[in-house]
Amino acid sequence: MENILDDYAHTNGLRDVDTRLKLILGAGAILISVSSASPVAPLFIAASMALVTVWLAKIPAAFYSRLLAIPAGFALTSGIVLIFLTGGGVPLWEIQLPGLTLSVTTAAIGLASVVFARTLGGMCSLYFIALSTPMVEMFSVMRSLHLPREFVDLSMLVYRFIFILIGEAIAIHNAQEMRHGYVRFSTSIQSFSMLGAMLFIRSLAKGEDLIRAMDARCYDGKLELISEKRNLSIAGLLCVAGYLTACTLILLSTTDITIVWGNL
Amino acid sequence: MHIMEGFLPSPWWQIWFLISAPFLAYGMYQLRQIYEERRETLPLLAVAGAFIFVLSSLKLPSVTGSCSHPTGTGLGAIVFGPFITSVLGLIVLIYQALFLAHGGLTTLGANVFSMGIAGPLLAYGIYRAGTKAGINPFVVVFLAASLADLFTYIITSLQLALAFPAEAGGIMTSFLAFGTVFAITQIPLAIIEGLIIALIFKYIIAVRPDLLVRLDVLSQTAVNRIREAIA
Repeated sequence: MENILDDYAHTNGLRDVDTRLKLILGAGAILISVSSASPVAPLFIAASMALVTVWLAKIPAAFYSRLLAIPAGFALTSGIVLIFLTGGGVPLWEIQLPGLTLSVTTAAIGLASVVFARTLGGMCSLYFIALSTPMVEMFSVMRSLHLPREFVDLSMLVYRFIFILIGEAIAIHNAQEMRHGYVRFSTSIQSFSMLGAMLFIRSLAKGEDLIRAMDARCYDGKLELISEKRNLSIAGLLCVAGYLTACTLILLSTTDITIVWGNL
Repeated sequence: MHIMEGFLPSPWWQIWFLISAPFLAYGMYQLRQIYEERRETLPLLAVAGAFIFVLSSLKLPSVTGSCSHPTGTGLGAIVFGPFITSVLGLIVLIYQALFLAHGGLTTLGANVFSMGIAGPLLAYGIYRAGTKAGINPFVVVFLAASLADLFTYIITSLQLALAFPAEAGGIMTSFLAFGTVFAITQIPLAIIEGLIIALIFKYIIAVRPDLLVRLDVLSQTAVNRIREAIA
């Protein structure tokens, strides 16, 4: 919980690159990954995005690889379900269970590998956005996209409070830990609930303080943002466009390729 | 339980965005109205959103040893109503994707539907019905939070099953398969979350019951009755 990706985003190597460029790159890569019918394009995107994040944005490689373990659990369990559920193609392996037969077929392995590759490509692109773009920069982009004002204001305030509450939660958790609050399962439940309740009460108190502080500064229902008007750099735009075109070409030229399994 | 980025193929991720849109639009409408009536509710909702985020990023004490997090939206629905919770849920899910790498952007529509719309609607319904029927408030909160959790996980399994129907038996078989695989972690998790939210409720009533009265979650007479009972 202490390792929030946003902390890395504030000091990464691509901090000063235009936010819109980074968002177009990340979102474009995600869309290409998701719409690919073969594992080739998503795997290419995963590899290139990981390279860009670790090499250009200078995110520690050890941290990055640990991050990739988060989606792995979900992708693996769901992938196994996919392999046994879907069918088509040549059966490779069958398990007889009372009442049903589980079979693994070539098409099922093909589908599972595509889905796994898409998830990997999507997650690497998502990590690129998360690790290279601080949230504060995204708010001005959200404004310029004309999202509802209340929504953007609410997001900004939520963002601000997340860090305050995380600090509180860590302090309470440490205090409970020192008093053996989490030694047994039953005490853990007690301590966790106490933490949650205190957090709730303190957050509401903080909310009231914020109302007073904002009123004292003549809050009239609008939060203003300072954002520099920057022009998109031509070189950057060309790089992003070139990369996305390359990915699209790979996508279009590899639609028929699937992982071929064994001697078929 | 979040569906990871890239896992839902087209057209399913677009479809779930479309299904979630009217609920979110209604939530935004409600938000705007409350905002015009009492403008001080914006900071209050902001801290509520942050609270849901922090609660859901904490690791729950778990028996199975798997890494599991509460959804936190059940409590939000009881306190602020289901539609505003869905807007808060959307914000929380965007932050979870960008800060914690849980979920994703294309799967946001599906995740908002299961976690921010379906779960909170059920939690709110159970809470209101249970309070009206005069059932013990802690039992009602426990039921609302844990059933909302279970419902979230059922919807997620359904979303996966619709996107990947089984060859033999179609959507139903696939739904059962996904459901069984995730049940191992999700059923104990739902019970634990229900217990914890009920206990959180108890502690809030013990320390600052006035907050709940002001937010119109409980009436003053109900608070007095509960405080007598637990004292």
